[in-house]
Amino acid sequence: MSDSDYPLTSTVESLYCDHHDWLQSWLRRRLGNAADAADLAHDAFIRLIVTPRRFDSRPEARSYLRTMANGLCVDLWRRRQIEEAWLEALAAQPEAFAPSSEHQCIVLQALQEIDTLLRSLSAKAARAFVLAVGCEMTDKEVAAELGVSARMVRKYVAQAMLRCMEMEELREEPPLRHVGD
Amino acid sequence: MSAIEFSVSPEQTGISFSAKEQAAEWFALLRSGDATDADRSQWEAWLAACEEHRNAWAYVQRVSNRFAPIQTSPDPRTTVGILQTAQGRLARRRRILLGLAAFGGTGLLSWATWRHTLLPARAWVADHHTGVGETRQISLTDGTRVWLGSASAFNEDFRPDLRRLHLVAGDIFIETAPDATRPFVVDTPHGRLRALGTRFDVRLEGRQTAVSVYEGAVEVRTAGSEATTVIRAGEQTRFDQQAIGETAAADPSREGWTQGILIAQDMPLSLLAAELARYRHGHLGVAPEVADLRVYGSFPLDSSDRALVMLASVLPIQVRQPLPWWSTIEARSGSAGKAASR
Repeated sequence: MSDSDYPLTSTVESLYCDHHDWLQSWLRRRLGNAADAADLAHDAFIRLIVTPRRFDSRPEARSYLRTMANGLCVDLWRRRQIEEAWLEALAAQPEAFAPSSEHQCIVLQALQEIDTLLRSLSAKAARAFVLAVGCEMTDKEVAAELGVSARMVRKYVAQAMLRCMEMEELREEPPLRHVGD
Repeated sequence: MSAIEFSVSPEQTGISFSAKEQAAEWFALLRSGDATDADRSQWEAWLAACEEHRNAWAYVQRVSNRFAPIQTSPDPRTTVGILQTAQGRLARRRRILLGLAAFGGTGLLSWATWRHTLLPARAWVADHHTGVGETRQISLTDGTRVWLGSASAFNEDFRPDLRRLHLVAGDIFIETAPDATRPFVVDTPHGRLRALGTRFDVRLEGRQTAVSVYEGAVEVRTAGSEATTVIRAGEQTRFDQQAIGETAAADPSREGWTQGILIAQDMPLSLLAAELARYRHGHLGVAPEVADLRVYGSFPLDSSDRALVMLASVLPIQVRQPLPWWSTIEARSGSAGKAASR
Protein backbone atom coordinates (compact mmCIF):
# COMPACT_ATOMS: atom_id res chain seq x y z
CA MET A 1 0.00 0.00 0.00
CA SER A 2 1.49 3.35 -0.96
CA ASP A 3 1.28 6.25 1.45
CA SER A 4 -1.13 8.23 -0.73
CA ASP A 5 -3.64 5.40 -0.43
CA TYR A 6 -3.70 5.76 3.31
CA PRO A 7 -7.37 5.89 4.28
CA LEU A 8 -8.25 9.32 5.54
CA THR A 9 -11.03 7.78 7.52
CA SER A 10 -8.72 5.48 9.40
CA THR A 11 -10.44 4.33 12.54
CA VAL A 12 -8.75 3.36 15.75
CA GLU A 13 -9.45 -0.21 14.71
CA SER A 14 -7.59 0.05 11.45
CA LEU A 15 -4.78 1.98 13.12
CA TYR A 16 -4.59 -0.79 15.67
CA CYS A 17 -4.32 -3.46 12.98
CA ASP A 18 -1.72 -1.50 11.05
CA HIS A 19 0.52 -0.37 13.84
CA HIS A 20 -0.02 -2.24 17.07
CA ASP A 21 2.54 -4.97 16.49
CA TRP A 22 5.09 -2.51 15.22
CA LEU A 23 4.55 -0.19 18.18
CA GLN A 24 4.76 -3.01 20.66
CA SER A 25 8.05 -4.27 19.26
CA TRP A 26 9.40 -0.70 19.13
CA LEU A 27 8.52 -0.34 22.81
CA ARG A 28 9.99 -3.70 23.65
CA ARG A 29 13.29 -2.68 22.13
CA ARG A 30 13.21 0.56 24.04
CA LEU A 31 12.15 -0.84 27.42
CA GLY A 32 13.73 -4.28 27.15
CA ASN A 33 10.61 -5.75 28.72
CA ALA A 34 7.73 -7.39 26.87
CA ALA A 35 5.10 -6.92 29.59
CA ASP A 36 5.73 -3.17 29.94
CA ALA A 37 5.79 -2.85 26.16
CA ALA A 38 2.40 -4.54 25.86
CA ASP A 39 0.95 -2.29 28.58
CA LEU A 40 2.22 0.91 27.03
CA ALA A 41 1.15 -0.07 23.50
CA HIS A 42 -2.29 -0.67 24.97
CA ASP A 43 -2.23 2.74 26.71
CA ALA A 44 -1.22 4.45 23.48
CA PHE A 45 -4.26 3.09 21.64
CA ILE A 46 -6.53 3.90 24.58
CA ARG A 47 -5.37 7.50 24.21
CA LEU A 48 -6.23 7.39 20.53
CA ILE A 49 -9.73 6.25 21.44
CA VAL A 50 -10.11 9.06 23.98
CA THR A 51 -8.78 11.73 21.62
CA PRO A 52 -9.20 10.43 18.06
CA ARG A 53 -6.86 11.71 15.38
CA ARG A 54 -6.67 11.39 11.68
CA PHE A 55 -3.48 10.71 9.78
CA ASP A 56 -2.74 11.38 6.14
CA SER A 57 -0.11 8.73 5.77
CA ARG A 58 1.32 5.69 7.42
CA PRO A 59 4.61 7.47 8.32
CA GLU A 60 2.63 10.27 9.91
CA ALA A 61 0.67 7.83 12.02
CA ARG A 62 3.82 6.03 13.06
CA SER A 63 5.67 9.20 13.91
CA TYR A 64 2.73 10.35 16.05
CA LEU A 65 2.50 6.98 17.79
CA ARG A 66 6.21 6.92 18.37
CA THR A 67 6.15 10.37 19.96
CA MET A 68 3.24 9.39 22.15
CA ALA A 69 4.84 6.10 23.13
CA ASN A 70 8.04 7.92 23.94
CA GLY A 71 6.14 10.17 26.33
CA LEU A 72 4.55 7.10 27.91
CA CYS A 73 8.00 5.56 28.40
CA VAL A 74 9.20 8.69 30.15
CA ASP A 75 6.11 8.67 32.38
CA LEU A 76 6.63 5.03 33.21
CA TRP A 77 10.25 5.66 33.98
CA ARG A 78 9.45 8.57 36.29
CA ARG A 79 6.82 6.55 38.12
CA ARG A 80 9.33 3.74 38.55
CA GLN A 81 12.00 6.10 39.86
CA ILE A 82 9.61 7.40 42.49
CA GLU A 83 8.49 3.90 43.36
CA GLU A 84 12.10 2.84 43.74
CA ALA A 85 12.96 5.79 46.00
CA TRP A 86 9.80 5.08 47.95
CA LEU A 87 10.67 1.43 48.46
CA GLU A 88 14.14 2.38 49.60
CA ALA A 89 12.77 4.89 52.08
CA LEU A 90 10.22 2.36 53.28
CA ALA A 91 12.90 -0.24 53.85
CA ALA A 92 15.11 2.24 55.69
CA GLN A 93 12.47 3.80 57.92
CA PRO A 94 9.19 1.90 57.95
CA GLU A 95 8.04 3.90 60.98
CA ALA A 96 8.18 7.14 58.98
CA PHE A 97 5.35 5.98 56.75
CA ALA A 98 1.68 5.33 56.98
CA PRO A 99 0.59 2.47 59.24
CA SER A 100 -1.07 0.18 56.70
CA SER A 101 0.14 -0.95 53.32
CA GLU A 102 -3.02 0.49 51.82
CA HIS A 103 -2.13 3.94 53.16
CA GLN A 104 1.41 3.47 51.92
CA CYS A 105 0.11 2.88 48.40
CA ILE A 106 -1.97 6.03 48.63
CA VAL A 107 1.16 7.95 49.59
CA LEU A 108 3.08 6.49 46.65
CA GLN A 109 0.27 7.34 44.26
CA ALA A 110 0.07 10.87 45.65
CA LEU A 111 3.81 11.33 45.13
CA GLN A 112 3.56 10.14 41.54
CA GLU A 113 0.67 12.47 40.80
CA ILE A 114 2.42 15.42 42.40
CA ASP A 115 5.50 14.66 40.34
CA THR A 116 3.39 14.80 37.19
CA LEU A 117 1.96 18.16 38.19
CA LEU A 118 5.32 19.67 39.09
CA ARG A 119 7.30 18.33 36.17
CA SER A 120 7.56 21.53 34.19
CA LEU A 121 8.54 23.72 37.16
CA SER A 122 12.05 24.72 38.12
CA ALA A 123 13.61 22.49 40.76
CA LYS A 124 13.61 25.29 43.35
CA ALA A 125 9.99 26.27 42.79
CA ALA A 126 8.92 22.62 42.95
CA ARG A 127 10.87 22.05 46.15
CA ALA A 128 9.50 25.19 47.77
CA PHE A 129 5.96 24.18 46.86
CA VAL A 130 6.30 20.63 48.13
CA LEU A 131 7.80 21.75 51.44
CA ALA A 132 5.23 24.50 51.89
CA VAL A 133 2.17 22.44 51.04
CA GLY A 134 3.25 18.85 51.74
CA CYS A 135 5.02 19.60 55.02
CA GLU A 136 2.79 22.59 55.84
CA MET A 137 5.79 24.78 56.54
CA THR A 138 5.50 28.58 56.69
CA ASP A 139 7.19 30.74 54.07
CA LYS A 140 9.87 31.69 56.60
CA GLU A 141 10.66 28.05 57.35
CA VAL A 142 10.85 27.15 53.67
CA ALA A 143 12.98 30.24 53.02
CA ALA A 144 15.45 29.20 55.71
CA GLU A 145 15.63 25.70 54.28
CA LEU A 146 16.19 26.78 50.68
CA GLY A 147 18.34 29.82 51.36
CA VAL A 148 16.02 32.24 49.58
CA SER A 149 13.82 35.09 50.83
CA ALA A 150 10.31 34.49 52.19
CA ARG A 151 9.06 36.76 49.41
CA MET A 152 10.60 34.41 46.88
CA VAL A 153 8.93 31.43 48.53
CA ARG A 154 5.55 33.16 48.25
CA LYS A 155 6.23 33.71 44.57
CA TYR A 156 7.29 30.09 44.03
CA VAL A 157 4.17 28.80 45.77
CA ALA A 158 1.84 31.01 43.72
CA GLN A 159 3.63 30.06 40.52
CA ALA A 160 3.56 26.35 41.29
CA MET A 161 -0.07 26.45 42.32
CA LEU A 162 -1.02 28.17 39.10
CA ARG A 163 0.85 25.60 37.04
CA CYS A 164 -0.75 22.73 38.95
CA MET A 165 -4.21 24.25 38.47
CA GLU A 166 -3.62 24.36 34.74
CA MET A 167 -2.44 20.76 34.74
CA GLU A 168 -5.52 19.78 36.71
CA GLU A 169 -7.71 21.56 34.23
CA LEU A 170 -6.25 19.48 31.41
CA ARG A 171 -7.51 16.36 33.09
CA GLU A 172 -10.97 15.18 32.20
CA GLU A 173 -12.76 15.00 35.53
CA PRO A 174 -14.78 18.06 36.49
CA PRO A 175 -13.35 19.89 39.48
CA LEU A 176 -14.76 19.60 42.96
CA ARG A 177 -17.22 22.39 43.39
CA HIS A 178 -16.45 24.89 46.06
CA VAL A 179 -18.75 24.34 49.00
CA GLY A 180 -19.73 27.74 50.32
CA ASP A 181 -20.81 28.41 53.86
CA MET B 1 -10.56 32.68 23.66
CA SER B 2 -13.34 32.10 21.15
CA ALA B 3 -15.60 35.00 20.26
CA ILE B 4 -18.70 32.88 20.53
CA GLU B 5 -19.70 32.12 24.09
CA PHE B 6 -22.14 29.36 24.87
CA SER B 7 -23.97 29.28 28.08
CA VAL B 8 -22.95 25.97 29.57
CA SER B 9 -22.29 24.71 33.04
CA PRO B 10 -19.49 26.59 34.81
CA GLU B 11 -16.85 23.89 34.71
CA GLN B 12 -17.05 23.78 30.94
CA THR B 13 -16.73 27.49 30.31
CA GLY B 14 -13.10 27.50 31.30
CA ILE B 15 -11.80 29.88 33.89
CA SER B 16 -9.86 32.94 32.84
CA PHE B 17 -6.15 32.92 33.42
CA SER B 18 -6.40 35.98 35.63
CA ALA B 19 -8.96 34.32 37.92
CA LYS B 20 -6.66 31.34 38.29
CA GLU B 21 -3.73 33.63 38.91
CA GLN B 22 -5.62 35.46 41.65
CA ALA B 23 -6.68 32.17 43.22
CA ALA B 24 -3.05 30.99 43.26
CA GLU B 25 -1.94 34.29 44.82
CA TRP B 26 -4.61 34.00 47.51
CA PHE B 27 -3.54 30.46 48.25
CA ALA B 28 0.10 31.52 48.55
CA LEU B 29 -0.82 34.32 50.95
CA LEU B 30 -3.30 32.40 53.10
CA ARG B 31 -0.95 29.50 53.76
CA SER B 32 2.22 31.58 54.12
CA GLY B 33 1.95 31.92 57.89
CA ASP B 34 1.75 35.70 57.54
CA ALA B 35 -1.93 36.10 56.62
CA THR B 36 -3.92 38.54 58.79
CA ASP B 37 -7.63 38.53 59.60
CA ALA B 38 -8.00 41.39 57.15
CA ASP B 39 -6.42 39.21 54.43
CA ARG B 40 -8.84 36.43 55.18
CA SER B 41 -11.91 38.62 54.99
CA GLN B 42 -10.66 40.12 51.74
CA TRP B 43 -10.25 36.63 50.38
CA GLU B 44 -13.82 35.80 51.41
CA ALA B 45 -15.04 38.87 49.60
CA TRP B 46 -13.06 37.83 46.51
CA LEU B 47 -14.59 34.37 46.69
CA ALA B 48 -18.09 35.74 47.10
CA ALA B 49 -17.66 38.15 44.19
CA CYS B 50 -18.36 35.72 41.35
CA GLU B 51 -18.78 32.14 40.20
CA GLU B 52 -15.54 32.22 38.25
CA HIS B 53 -13.55 32.94 41.41
CA ARG B 54 -15.22 30.04 43.17
CA ASN B 55 -14.49 27.73 40.25
CA ALA B 56 -10.87 28.82 40.23
CA TRP B 57 -10.69 28.19 43.97
CA ALA B 58 -12.09 24.69 43.44
CA TYR B 59 -8.96 23.95 41.42
CA VAL B 60 -6.78 25.29 44.22
CA GLN B 61 -8.51 22.88 46.57
CA ARG B 62 -8.13 20.04 44.16
CA VAL B 63 -4.40 20.61 43.90
CA SER B 64 -3.92 20.96 47.64
CA ASN B 65 -6.03 17.85 48.26
CA ARG B 66 -3.45 15.89 46.34
CA PHE B 67 -1.03 16.62 49.16
CA ALA B 68 -3.35 15.27 51.87
CA PRO B 69 -1.78 11.76 51.96
CA ILE B 70 1.61 13.38 52.48
CA GLN B 71 0.41 15.84 55.10
CA THR B 72 -1.17 13.04 57.09
CA SER B 73 1.74 10.60 56.79
CA PRO B 74 3.67 10.15 60.07
CA ASP B 75 6.72 11.97 58.74
CA PRO B 76 5.93 14.35 55.86
CA ARG B 77 9.56 15.46 55.60
CA THR B 78 10.78 11.96 54.82
CA THR B 79 7.87 11.40 52.45
CA VAL B 80 8.67 14.59 50.56
CA GLY B 81 12.30 13.54 50.55
CA ILE B 82 11.36 10.58 48.34
CA LEU B 83 10.20 12.94 45.64
CA GLN B 84 13.43 14.88 45.89
CA THR B 85 15.54 11.73 45.71
CA ALA B 86 13.73 10.52 42.61
CA GLN B 87 13.77 13.92 40.91
CA GLY B 88 17.45 14.35 41.67
CA ARG B 89 18.24 11.02 40.04
CA LEU B 90 16.11 11.84 37.04
CA ALA B 91 17.82 15.20 36.61
CA ARG B 92 21.26 13.65 36.81
CA ARG B 93 20.30 11.02 34.28
CA ARG B 94 18.87 13.68 31.98
CA ARG B 95 22.09 15.70 32.10
CA ILE B 96 24.09 12.70 31.04
CA LEU B 97 21.70 11.86 28.25
CA LEU B 98 21.83 15.44 26.99
CA GLY B 99 25.59 15.28 27.01
CA LEU B 100 25.52 12.06 25.08
CA ALA B 101 23.00 13.19 22.50
CA ALA B 102 25.63 15.51 21.07
CA PHE B 103 27.87 12.59 20.27
CA GLY B 104 25.36 10.18 18.81
CA GLY B 105 26.10 8.76 15.42
CA THR B 106 29.86 9.03 15.52
CA GLY B 107 31.80 6.08 14.26
CA LEU B 108 33.39 5.35 17.61
CA LEU B 109 30.06 4.26 19.01
CA SER B 110 29.98 1.29 16.72
CA TRP B 111 33.17 -0.13 18.07
CA ALA B 112 33.11 -3.82 18.50
CA THR B 113 33.09 -4.76 22.13
CA TRP B 114 35.11 -7.58 23.38
CA ARG B 115 33.52 -9.35 26.26
CA HIS B 116 34.96 -11.87 28.58
CA THR B 117 35.27 -12.09 32.29
CA LEU B 118 38.24 -10.86 34.24
CA LEU B 119 36.76 -11.73 37.59
CA PRO B 120 38.67 -14.24 39.67
CA ALA B 121 36.88 -17.55 40.14
CA ARG B 122 36.16 -16.88 43.82
CA ALA B 123 34.22 -13.78 42.82
CA TRP B 124 31.75 -15.82 40.78
CA VAL B 125 30.82 -17.91 43.77
CA ALA B 126 30.37 -14.83 45.99
CA ASP B 127 26.85 -13.90 47.13
CA HIS B 128 26.78 -10.78 44.96
CA HIS B 129 28.92 -10.05 41.95
CA THR B 130 29.05 -7.97 38.78
CA GLY B 131 30.76 -8.43 35.44
CA VAL B 132 33.04 -5.96 33.71
CA GLY B 133 31.18 -2.77 32.83
CA GLU B 134 28.25 -3.71 35.04
CA THR B 135 27.18 -1.95 38.22
CA ARG B 136 24.39 -2.99 40.51
CA GLN B 137 22.54 -1.71 43.53
CA ILE B 138 21.51 -4.14 46.22
CA SER B 139 19.32 -3.64 49.28
CA LEU B 140 20.32 -5.89 52.15
CA THR B 141 17.80 -7.30 54.60
CA ASP B 142 18.54 -4.64 57.23
CA GLY B 143 17.87 -1.80 54.74
CA THR B 144 21.55 -1.13 54.04
CA ARG B 145 22.18 -0.26 50.41
CA VAL B 146 25.23 -1.50 48.58
CA TRP B 147 26.37 -0.47 45.12
CA LEU B 148 28.64 -2.93 43.38
CA GLY B 149 31.10 -1.46 40.93
CA SER B 150 32.38 -3.07 37.75
CA ALA B 151 33.90 -6.54 38.23
CA SER B 152 33.20 -6.59 41.94
CA ALA B 153 32.01 -9.19 44.42
CA PHE B 154 31.20 -9.51 48.09
CA ASN B 155 29.79 -12.02 50.55
CA GLU B 156 27.09 -11.17 53.02
CA ASP B 157 27.32 -12.60 56.52
CA PHE B 158 24.60 -11.28 58.80
CA ARG B 159 24.44 -12.68 62.31
CA PRO B 160 22.31 -11.79 65.32
CA ASP B 161 25.11 -9.67 66.77
CA LEU B 162 27.03 -8.51 63.69
CA ARG B 163 26.45 -7.39 60.11
CA ARG B 164 29.51 -8.35 58.12
CA LEU B 165 30.36 -7.96 54.44
CA HIS B 166 33.40 -9.55 52.94
CA LEU B 167 34.76 -7.72 49.90
CA VAL B 168 36.22 -10.28 47.50
CA ALA B 169 36.94 -8.13 44.45
CA GLY B 170 36.54 -4.60 43.15
CA ASP B 171 34.60 -1.79 44.67
CA ILE B 172 31.53 -1.38 46.89
CA PHE B 173 29.78 1.75 48.06
CA ILE B 174 27.78 1.32 51.24
CA GLU B 175 25.00 3.30 52.81
CA THR B 176 24.37 1.63 56.12
CA ALA B 177 20.98 1.39 57.78
CA PRO B 178 21.05 2.24 61.47
CA ASP B 179 21.00 -0.70 63.87
CA ALA B 180 22.15 0.01 67.40
CA THR B 181 22.42 -3.65 68.33
CA ARG B 182 24.40 -4.98 65.38
CA PRO B 183 27.63 -3.28 64.30
CA PHE B 184 28.34 -3.11 60.58
CA VAL B 185 31.78 -4.20 59.35
CA VAL B 186 33.46 -4.78 56.01
CA ASP B 187 36.36 -7.22 55.85
CA THR B 188 39.00 -7.11 53.13
CA PRO B 189 42.20 -9.14 52.88
CA HIS B 190 43.97 -6.17 54.49
CA GLY B 191 41.82 -5.48 57.48
CA ARG B 192 38.44 -4.61 58.92
CA LEU B 193 36.38 -1.45 58.46
CA ARG B 194 33.81 -0.66 61.08
CA ALA B 195 31.04 1.72 60.04
CA LEU B 196 30.00 4.38 62.51
CA GLY B 197 26.67 5.33 60.84
CA THR B 198 27.69 6.14 57.37
CA ARG B 199 28.16 6.31 53.59
CA PHE B 200 31.50 5.09 52.39
CA ASP B 201 33.32 3.40 49.54
CA VAL B 202 35.67 0.43 49.87
CA ARG B 203 37.88 -0.72 47.05
CA LEU B 204 40.48 -3.41 46.60
CA GLU B 205 43.61 -2.15 44.88
CA GLY B 206 46.11 -4.99 44.65
CA ARG B 207 47.85 -5.23 48.00
CA GLN B 208 45.91 -2.36 49.48
CA THR B 209 42.39 -1.41 50.37
CA ALA B 210 41.23 2.15 49.72
CA VAL B 211 38.40 3.66 51.75
CA SER B 212 36.60 6.99 51.16
CA VAL B 213 34.04 8.28 53.65
CA TYR B 214 31.21 10.67 52.68
CA GLU B 215 29.05 10.64 55.79
CA GLY B 216 29.67 9.60 59.36
CA ALA B 217 32.97 7.86 60.03
CA VAL B 218 34.71 4.53 59.55
CA GLU B 219 37.21 2.88 61.83
CA VAL B 220 40.04 1.04 60.05
CA ARG B 221 41.89 -1.84 61.69
CA THR B 222 44.61 -3.64 59.77
CA ALA B 223 44.68 -7.43 59.67
CA GLY B 224 48.37 -7.86 60.47
CA SER B 225 49.31 -5.15 62.95
CA GLU B 226 46.03 -4.16 64.56
CA ALA B 227 46.83 -0.53 63.76
CA THR B 228 43.65 1.53 63.91
CA THR B 229 42.50 4.94 62.80
CA VAL B 230 39.19 6.67 62.26
CA ILE B 231 38.41 8.14 58.82
CA ARG B 232 35.78 10.89 58.96
CA ALA B 233 33.37 12.26 56.38
CA GLY B 234 35.21 13.92 53.50
CA GLU B 235 38.39 11.88 54.03
CA GLN B 236 39.98 8.88 52.42
CA THR B 237 42.96 6.63 53.03
CA ARG B 238 44.66 3.40 51.95
CA PHE B 239 45.93 0.59 54.08
CA ASP B 240 47.61 -2.78 53.72
CA GLN B 241 47.93 -5.59 56.22
CA GLN B 242 50.52 -3.72 58.25
CA ALA B 243 50.03 0.01 58.01
CA ILE B 244 47.49 2.72 57.36
CA GLY B 245 48.47 5.50 54.97
CA GLU B 246 47.97 9.22 55.38
CA THR B 247 44.49 10.66 55.35
CA ALA B 248 43.62 12.80 52.32
CA ALA B 249 40.51 14.63 51.07
CA ALA B 250 37.93 12.19 49.70
CA ASP B 251 37.74 11.99 45.94
CA PRO B 252 34.22 12.86 44.67
CA SER B 253 34.53 10.31 41.87
CA ARG B 254 34.45 7.55 44.47
CA GLU B 255 30.88 8.55 45.23
CA GLY B 256 29.65 9.45 41.75
CA TRP B 257 30.08 6.00 40.27
CA THR B 258 27.07 4.73 42.20
CA GLN B 259 25.02 6.91 39.86
CA GLY B 260 26.86 5.52 36.85
CA ILE B 261 28.92 8.68 36.51
CA LEU B 262 32.62 9.23 36.71
CA ILE B 263 33.18 12.72 38.07
CA ALA B 264 36.53 14.22 37.13
CA GLN B 265 37.71 17.36 38.87
CA ASP B 266 41.15 18.30 37.72
CA MET B 267 41.89 14.62 37.17
CA PRO B 268 44.91 13.60 35.08
CA LEU B 269 43.84 11.85 31.88
CA SER B 270 45.93 8.81 32.81
CA LEU B 271 43.98 8.37 36.05
CA LEU B 272 40.65 8.84 34.32
CA ALA B 273 41.63 6.26 31.70
CA ALA B 274 42.63 3.81 34.43
CA GLU B 275 39.21 4.32 35.99
CA LEU B 276 37.41 3.80 32.67
CA ALA B 277 39.52 0.73 32.00
CA ARG B 278 37.91 -0.96 34.99
CA TYR B 279 34.61 -0.69 33.15
CA ARG B 280 35.72 -2.12 29.82
CA HIS B 281 37.30 -5.25 28.49
CA GLY B 282 40.71 -5.26 26.97
CA HIS B 283 43.50 -2.73 27.12
CA LEU B 284 43.11 1.04 27.36
CA GLY B 285 46.44 2.82 27.14
CA VAL B 286 47.37 6.50 27.33
CA ALA B 287 50.27 7.98 25.37
CA PRO B 288 52.74 9.81 27.67
CA GLU B 289 52.40 13.15 25.89
CA VAL B 290 48.72 13.42 26.87
CA ALA B 291 48.80 11.50 30.17
CA ASP B 292 48.92 14.66 32.27
CA LEU B 293 46.13 16.59 30.57
CA ARG B 294 43.65 17.71 33.23
CA VAL B 295 40.07 16.60 32.84
CA TYR B 296 36.90 18.18 34.21
CA GLY B 297 33.44 16.79 33.70
CA SER B 298 31.07 13.90 34.18
CA PHE B 299 31.41 10.76 32.12
CA PRO B 300 29.08 7.79 31.80
CA LEU B 301 30.51 4.59 33.21
CA ASP B 302 27.92 2.33 31.64
CA SER B 303 29.35 3.14 28.25
CA SER B 304 33.08 3.75 28.35
CA ASP B 305 33.08 4.06 24.54
CA ARG B 306 30.85 7.10 24.85
CA ALA B 307 32.98 8.47 27.63
CA LEU B 308 35.96 8.28 25.26
CA VAL B 309 34.04 10.07 22.54
CA MET B 310 33.16 12.80 25.02
CA LEU B 311 36.80 13.08 26.06
CA ALA B 312 37.94 13.38 22.47
CA SER B 313 35.51 16.25 21.98
CA VAL B 314 36.91 18.34 24.84
CA LEU B 315 40.59 17.44 24.77
CA PRO B 316 43.13 17.53 21.91
CA ILE B 317 43.19 13.74 21.80
CA GLN B 318 42.10 10.90 19.59
CA VAL B 319 41.38 7.31 20.38
CA ARG B 320 43.00 4.70 18.22
CA GLN B 321 41.74 1.17 18.22
CA PRO B 322 43.93 -1.09 16.08
CA LEU B 323 42.25 -4.19 17.50
CA PRO B 324 38.82 -4.59 19.06
CA TRP B 325 40.23 -5.04 22.56
CA TRP B 326 43.13 -2.65 22.29
CA SER B 327 42.54 1.10 22.53
CA THR B 328 45.06 3.88 22.90
CA ILE B 329 44.45 7.52 23.76
CA GLU B 330 46.96 9.72 22.01
CA ALA B 331 47.47 13.31 20.90
CA ARG B 332 45.26 14.33 18.01
CA SER B 333 47.28 14.39 14.79
CA GLY B 334 48.99 17.74 14.44
CA SER B 335 48.27 18.89 17.98
CA ALA B 336 50.85 16.90 19.90
CA GLY B 337 52.96 19.94 20.75
CA LYS B 338 49.95 21.96 21.88
CA ALA B 339 48.64 19.15 24.01
CA ALA B 340 51.92 18.67 25.78
CA SER B 341 52.22 22.36 26.59
CA ARG B 342 48.80 22.66 28.26
